[in-house]
Amino acid sequence: MPAIADRNSSSFKEIVAAIKSDKSGDIAGSNGCCIPQKRRLRSDAAAARESPVSTPMKLKSPRRRLNSSPNSPANGIKEDFSEKPVKKNWNPRDVEHMRAVKEALHVSTAPSTIVCREDEQKRVLEFCKACIEQEKAGSLYACGCPGTGKSLSMDKVKQQVIDWATKEDLQPLEVLALNCTSLANTSEIFSKILGKHQPRKKTMGSTSPLQHLQKLYSNNQARAGSKMMLIIADELDYLITKDRAVLHDLFMLTTFPFSRCILIGIANSIDLADRFLPRLQSLNCKPMVVTFRAYSKDQILSILQERLLVLPYIVFQQQALELCARKVAAASGDMRKALCVCRSAMEILEAELRESASNLSLASVEEFISQQTAPALEIFQSEENNTVRIDHMALALSKTFRSPIVDTIQSLPQHQQIILCSAVKFFRGGKKDSTVGELNKSYIDICKSAMIPPVGILEFSSMCRVLNDQGLFKLGQSRDDKSKRVTLKVDEADISFALQGVRFFRNCLQ
Amino acid sequence: MGREKEKENPSQKALNLLRTRLSNPNFVFKPLSDSPDSNYSKLKFIISSSITEACNNSILLLGPRGSGKVAVLELVLSDLLQQYPEAISVIRLNGLLHGDDNCALKEIARQLCMEHQLLFSKVASFDDNSQFLIAMLRECGLAHKTIIFVLDEFDLFAQAKQRLLYSLLDAMQSVTSQAVVIGVSCRLDVDQLLEKRVRSRFSHRKLLFLPPSKEDTERFLEHILSLPKDSSLPHSYTVEFNGRLKNVLADERFKELINTYLSFNSTIGQLMRFLFQAVSYMDLDVGFLSLENFKTALSSTQRQPKSECIKDCSILELYLLVCMKRLEVKEQNSYNFNSVMTEYKSIHDFQTSDNYAGNVCLRAFEHLLQRELISFTDNRGHNQSVEFRPVKLLISPAELYQGLKSYRSCPAILLKLIAR
Repeated sequence: MPAIADRNSSSFKEIVAAIKSDKSGDIAGSNGCCIPQKRRLRSDAAAARESPVSTPMKLKSPRRRLNSSPNSPANGIKEDFSEKPVKKNWNPRDVEHMRAVKEALHVSTAPSTIVCREDEQKRVLEFCKACIEQEKAGSLYACGCPGTGKSLSMDKVKQQVIDWATKEDLQPLEVLALNCTSLANTSEIFSKILGKHQPRKKTMGSTSPLQHLQKLYSNNQARAGSKMMLIIADELDYLITKDRAVLHDLFMLTTFPFSRCILIGIANSIDLADRFLPRLQSLNCKPMVVTFRAYSKDQILSILQERLLVLPYIVFQQQALELCARKVAAASGDMRKALCVCRSAMEILEAELRESASNLSLASVEEFISQQTAPALEIFQSEENNTVRIDHMALALSKTFRSPIVDTIQSLPQHQQIILCSAVKFFRGGKKDSTVGELNKSYIDICKSAMIPPVGILEFSSMCRVLNDQGLFKLGQSRDDKSKRVTLKVDEADISFALQGVRFFRNCLQ
Repeated sequence: MGREKEKENPSQKALNLLRTRLSNPNFVFKPLSDSPDSNYSKLKFIISSSITEACNNSILLLGPRGSGKVAVLELVLSDLLQQYPEAISVIRLNGLLHGDDNCALKEIARQLCMEHQLLFSKVASFDDNSQFLIAMLRECGLAHKTIIFVLDEFDLFAQAKQRLLYSLLDAMQSVTSQAVVIGVSCRLDVDQLLEKRVRSRFSHRKLLFLPPSKEDTERFLEHILSLPKDSSLPHSYTVEFNGRLKNVLADERFKELINTYLSFNSTIGQLMRFLFQAVSYMDLDVGFLSLENFKTALSSTQRQPKSECIKDCSILELYLLVCMKRLEVKEQNSYNFNSVMTEYKSIHDFQTSDNYAGNVCLRAFEHLLQRELISFTDNRGHNQSVEFRPVKLLISPAELYQGLKSYRSCPAILLKLIAR
């Protein structure tokens, strides 16, 4: 019991300390030597005041406890004490532990239960059940941004439908799940469907697979127990051709009187059905649309926690997960990105521990005689350094979301920076593009004002080409070097921000 | 004579040694990769953790041309191949050659076949190749072998439909495969070029290859140009060479020189080229590098071909060029030989030497055309004679001024005219 209370109190302390240090603007760095001590000192007063963690058995719910604690900040950081008592310590130096965590967070690991998509799955499942029971054909279109769990949910639904059909003693279902990017050409999808229907027969030369299917579905060749087919077509927009015929014919297959296929299409655009299948509306067979919205912050958080539940130890601090969920939800709501950021944060922690271990081994060799290493070792092995903290997560987020443009501009050679500067000044007046020759004049003016000798036109145009290669400029085509059109592809604000450290550029871009 | 030969041999050998070093990217990038913070260690960590933990990963290497992306990658791969000899197979694709999806898939199939000693059929269709790729990924995943895809010129793969990228990255989302996709590109915004679903599957790890800092550059120069102690060269020679080199590197003028060079091109690749030139200018009789070598190399990189052309022109041709420049200054946008002659005559109101007849001037004019210091502005009027076709200057006023200043016996009047 005391051990548990200790750990809870220490993690509470560090959360309070982290909030304080967050507010004061300096995120705890990787120099772990003195900071844990400081944390203890700073939050001692706070720890003395707080009482809720003394009796872990009688925990109030996190939300209520938060409101009653005097030090809780207003932005509602939850403290999850409920299942911690049974978790062991995570040792990031243990290879097995690391691997288990990385596997739990990997995109390819499909979790056993899919949270936050129960509604959508239920709708699709009901739709499929209805179609199978009535032995009718139907079409459904699932849309949503990338990384919102569409393919994952469809896989689950597929399994659920098969199980349900076996349970209800109905005719077993044929399932065809394919990704439309793997088709060599778009009309191959029909031959694949036909192949499923009649696996042994080869199609005769004169009729195309599509016509074959159409004939099959319009005659009452359905013997009493012919099977229903479930077709799941992923990345449906690869089937869009110029005359939109393939997509249209595919959905029209479900409108035939004796058609027995349930078609589920998955794509990104919300209005695919409206734009590309207008004729279906007149026949009153528009596909049912299920939209997979982008994940909100709470959903991302609960998905991450669900994944981490499998592990018997705490890996991430609650706030780190919150920060990640908040940032990713604000950016795109893409679950893959959230998982990627978490893994990246773990790697930062790993790198930090490795570096501190190598520093420690150096330090311990040096100070072996002075015997001052004992307290330092203790601190290093405390659990505070064994979880992914908010600073790791912040670093991982900035690495993922920040574009490398500012760094690159800052490390460009001086003349190329002057060229960028002259481009910004030139295009400030509202002009959108110009020629290399005119840019050269602007560049020479700036060089003269800085008393730097300007380079010749050959060197200038090759520097423009280097900037074009890097994606900062866009150079047009022309026979003559001087008359190539130049446009700036980077935002002016980015360039000003990047160059603000140098006084000359600051004055220049005023 | 024997002594001269002896003295010559070490400097020749030293020169060869230095030149070999400078052309070998492995040697060049090794010292820069030693710190734990370098891109080499980060890349090695990511790839080796993917191998040992059997998970999939994708990463982008970004940086200007010549900053060592492929060199560092090759270093990492060769180290890993030594460390895990049976666990890696590397597939290399280049966006310039395999930008088309069919080509790329064929090339992947061919390389996989070569690695695993299977027979490759040239008539395999797109479908067959992609089935083969998926099957190979699965088999390698079961055998705990990681396939590393190196995609050079990644931005060229991100054009058109991006099917290859999608299928590679999608294959990595399944548990059965073990692959690492490494994209190398010089465009910084290459992930904006990807389609949303490809971008979502890409893991957003980017390694930026930036030019080294000033201190790193100084240390690096010393390391690269110093002769090794344990080579076959005589010890005294090596010691003196390194000593003199240190003096040169510590010289203020040398630092200024290097800074000037680095203010145009700061990538390592360019610096290597500059050093190669400098080293090649080493005087074999003296046998040691001096500041002069570097100065000569710098001036040879800053050549202005048009100004040098001016040195070979005759005085009359210079007069014609100056007249054309004056016409341009007077805002006459299109002029031909006759207007140039009028200007020429107006200059010579003041003095009578250097005043030549029309046909002599026409000959000089044609010389200028041949040397491409001037050219016709239109491409059509071949029927007209040379005197009536509009011409323009191909040399900028600054270059002309430079050329005149360095001309051996330029008449003062020309300098006066052009300065006005």
